Amino acid sequence: MNLAQGVQIVSLGLLTLMMISAALGVVLLDNIVYSAFLLGAVFTSIAGMYLLLNADFVAAAQLLIYVGSVNVLILFAIMLVNKREDFVPMTRGWVRKGATAAVCAGLFALLATMVLSTPWSISEAMPSTESTTLQIGTHFFTDFLLPFELVSVLLLMAMVGAIVIARRDIIPDIGSASEENLSFQLPERPREAVGALSESGSDSTGS
Amino acid sequence: MDSGIDLKGSIIQSLIDLGLPPGAAKVVWMPLPLGLMLVVATVGVLVAVWLERKISAAAQQRIGPEFAGPLGTLQPVADGLKLLVKEDVIPNKADPWLFTIGPAIVVIPIFLSFLIVPFGQNLVITDLGIGAFLWISLSSVAPIGLLMSGYASNNKYALIGGLRAAAQSISYEIPLALSVLAVVMMSNSLSTIDIVNQQSGYGILGWNIWRQPVGFIIFWIAALAETERLPFDLPEAEEEIVAGYQTEYSGMKFALFFLGSYVNLILSALLFAVFYLGGWDFLVPVELLADLLGFSINSPVVQVVTASLGITMVLVKTYLLVFIAILLRWTTPRVRIDQLLNLGWKFLLPVALVNLLLTAALKLAFPAFFGG
Amino acid sequence: MLNFLKQVGDYAKESFQAAKYIGQGLSVTFDHMQRRPVTVQYPYEKVIPSERYRGRIHFEFDKCISCEVCVRVCPINLPVVDWEFNKAQKKKQLKHYSIDFGVCIFCGNCVEYCPTNCLSMTEEYELSAYDRHELNYDNVALGRLPANIKDDPMVTPMREFAYLPKGVISPHDLPAGARRAGRRPEELLEELEAELAASEATAETK
Repeated sequence: MNLAQGVQIVSLGLLTLMMISAALGVVLLDNIVYSAFLLGAVFTSIAGMYLLLNADFVAAAQLLIYVGSVNVLILFAIMLVNKREDFVPMTRGWVRKGATAAVCAGLFALLATMVLSTPWSISEAMPSTESTTLQIGTHFFTDFLLPFELVSVLLLMAMVGAIVIARRDIIPDIGSASEENLSFQLPERPREAVGALSESGSDSTGS
Repeated sequence: MDSGIDLKGSIIQSLIDLGLPPGAAKVVWMPLPLGLMLVVATVGVLVAVWLERKISAAAQQRIGPEFAGPLGTLQPVADGLKLLVKEDVIPNKADPWLFTIGPAIVVIPIFLSFLIVPFGQNLVITDLGIGAFLWISLSSVAPIGLLMSGYASNNKYALIGGLRAAAQSISYEIPLALSVLAVVMMSNSLSTIDIVNQQSGYGILGWNIWRQPVGFIIFWIAALAETERLPFDLPEAEEEIVAGYQTEYSGMKFALFFLGSYVNLILSALLFAVFYLGGWDFLVPVELLADLLGFSINSPVVQVVTASLGITMVLVKTYLLVFIAILLRWTTPRVRIDQLLNLGWKFLLPVALVNLLLTAALKLAFPAFFGG
Repeated sequence: MLNFLKQVGDYAKESFQAAKYIGQGLSVTFDHMQRRPVTVQYPYEKVIPSERYRGRIHFEFDKCISCEVCVRVCPINLPVVDWEFNKAQKKKQLKHYSIDFGVCIFCGNCVEYCPTNCLSMTEEYELSAYDRHELNYDNVALGRLPANIKDDPMVTPMREFAYLPKGVISPHDLPAGARRAGRRPEELLEELEAELAASEATAETK
């Protein structure tokens, strides 16, 4: 075993440990912000795994998209939501937890059988690290053309949806004006119009 | 292409000659460029801080630091030492873990990006195949650290600063990546070495700045926004939110943020020089000069001169850009957050896309000029 | 379509204009970099305070008649006048007098209203101390005369902008006898007196 192999094995172990413990932290910690940050750690260690598999472009893309965008957006969502709510403890909450545990155990069993039944063949040939980008591009535009285009259509749909939601002038005026007023009013004593006030005042003095 | 000086090969060879086994020689070599790059980055920061203070002073008709060392050159060192021995305060009710990790997450990717910064044909830590992309993806990690420190400070200014930093950095990542993509498209490679080599050969006329007149402006604006320099320094706008995410930090943790922001500025300037100003290229092709003076380009002396000229050129270009950034700092007023996002999404993004399309079209039409 | 193109064209024009203005601003900033610093290198160079400078207040113990006018005109009744009625002399006798310069705003009302001119403004402004109580000056401290900046061999005195010769903007390297622009107060006074004398003379001859 030479130096490179040793480094690989050690970093594989470290990455695995980091990934599993961070993933457990994501699920088990109470503080949702910790979960979000640990999710970033999980994504980063997955990027490290890709790097170990000689997929440097995929690793960088993983870092850019999952850590740099998805995770930041999740954090944004968490930090911009400013609502503190006291949840009432559910009766029979254990049913949910039990169901989740059963589903997870089933998934785990499935994956484990898959891992055990797959005839893994370790290729000894050194894959070329020089042109991974080129290879990915070639695959995208030959045998994976349809999924690639479908994914781009999906992203386009998501973008159009986001623009539709973000554009204010497309949203129709819902309900009557009074309802709209209600929704934008501050919770304070409703004011009377000045004219009405003076009228009522003159009325009272007159009578 | 001539390979220039092969420092790695010669040092490993000399170590083997000293009696070390080849494996051990390689192990000895490995940390050397890394450590050297750390030192270079830190010294670069010291120089940049000194420049910042002196040029700011000059622009405001002051003198600036003048007593610490000749012309105040030791002032940044003194600042650093002060921060080093300062008390490290973790505010009450702050989250100590996130508060501590935050600055590290901001700084580490920036230093990692120095992996791909070339100072010469072989003067680079690794010539990665995904060089430029690595930089873009690493720089997208920094907002997590900013959000983390903003959240952990238990301070509303810090939180607002962190959120602003993340929003700004996400918005400007895209035009930055698109403008880099146009350059990458012309050189058919993400590797920084290839990008420079594609520009070399014609001296100043071959630099990408002539072929990407729109791209380099977009890149510079986006890079300034990424590094939170003054027209875009909303995350740390003093007048509004004290110091943004840095508000609660002191001592070495603050120094990490400070270091990070200046290393980031230098990194952006270095990569600007690489992408648009021909990296280590001299104003006229070095081969031509050597021919004129009657030297062989492969003789050792010429090689050494070329390499040092290359390093000097990279540094000159970088600090020229740093100078422009500092001058911009004292010229332009800070934009509002809505202006910032408008500029990013409604101006830079479409212009960068058009630039990319134009570059692709020109590349198809004139492969000789725009990299076939 | 044409409308859209016009919009795009206008937008491009505005962008170019914005770039032009930023360029102009940059050139202004760049031009400033070559100008001489306007700052005064404080501990080594000091600006000479003007005649009407309102610095630390000087107090002459013997002139004071303990009338307490200074206390009354002070916005915050700051001066402390400690006196005792001397029955033999049938006079107020001053025992202590103090002003706390940590609180004083140097408005000069006390100086203005003092009937015996025992209070006056000095040109001393270096009032830093490690403890704010050190700024509470008693009558001894108030009676000290301030050192003139021009007498300090360590300090290069710098004239203020209004005291420089015409057209000069930098106080550095002035020739020794350089006069300020315009006439000096004593010259004005002389002139006035001469005028007065002349008018009196004409009145007498009439």
